[in-house]
Amino acid sequence: MNIQFKKGVLELCVLSMLDKEVCYGYELVNEISKSISISEGTIYPLLRRLKSEELVTTYLQESQEGPPRKYYKLTELGRKKEKELKKEWFTFVKDVNNFLKGSEKNE
Amino acid sequence: MNKKEFLGRLSELIKDIPEEEKKDILFDYEEHFRIGLEKGRKEEEIAASLGDPKIIAKQSRASCILKEAEKTTSASNIIRAIFAAVGLGFFNLVIVLGPAIGLIGILVALFAASFAITVSGAAVLFGTLMGPVFAWSIYIPFAAVVSIPLGIGLTALGFLSIIGAFYLTKLFYKLCISYLKMNLQIITNRRNTR
Repeated sequence: MNIQFKKGVLELCVLSMLDKEVCYGYELVNEISKSISISEGTIYPLLRRLKSEELVTTYLQESQEGPPRKYYKLTELGRKKEKELKKEWFTFVKDVNNFLKGSEKNE
Repeated sequence: MNKKEFLGRLSELIKDIPEEEKKDILFDYEEHFRIGLEKGRKEEEIAASLGDPKIIAKQSRASCILKEAEKTTSASNIIRAIFAAVGLGFFNLVIVLGPAIGLIGILVALFAASFAITVSGAAVLFGTLMGPVFAWSIYIPFAAVVSIPLGIGLTALGFLSIIGAFYLTKLFYKLCISYLKMNLQIITNRRNTR
């Protein structure tokens, strides 16, 4: 996939995944890297930024397999942002699709 | 690279940020390794897919230093933040360092000009009042009726422009922080994809 397409979409992917359920970091990285090829290490700085912008909060929770894990949860602000970004994304995709279909007919 | 090497290198690269922040960052990667190992992956494999610690460190440092500059206003903090941002890539050399040098130049010029106006006002005033005493060395080409109000006026104007320059500096500081924040957001989104 072209790098220009992926640019900026990562934030939306993280927010949309957290909109469905609370996740710990590894889970997020793992799920997202299944669909989009990313440098996995750089998702943590992104998560820290989302936290400092108060789009997500974190808490520690015990796990069955070992020490507690850090979970990420969407805040109200984060939910709003997710909706906004998603809407923008779909509008963008629709516009591009329309354009491409239009230019096909003209050929 | 194994887990120890990866974390060691990362910790070395971010050693100049506050201890708590640093611990927090390392915690995330330790956890990542731990869960990866639980899922049966090898340390080397996890380290390789995490990517270069240098890129991670640069991003974490830049956003951390910027946060500090936002919290405590100081010249050294903003300069550190500017340099951390410049370190993120050649692109930033142009779009961050360039405007920063320009703005600092304007502020320095403004302060120098305000200072000069204040000093010249004080000099006219002093010259007029002391003229009779140091008659051999001071020559004021105006009558006292003109030069006293002129001196007071210039001094006041100078002080006002110094105060104005301070406010402008504060405004520039805030603008600079928002600009760096926006810049960091764009750069991290770029770097996250490969």
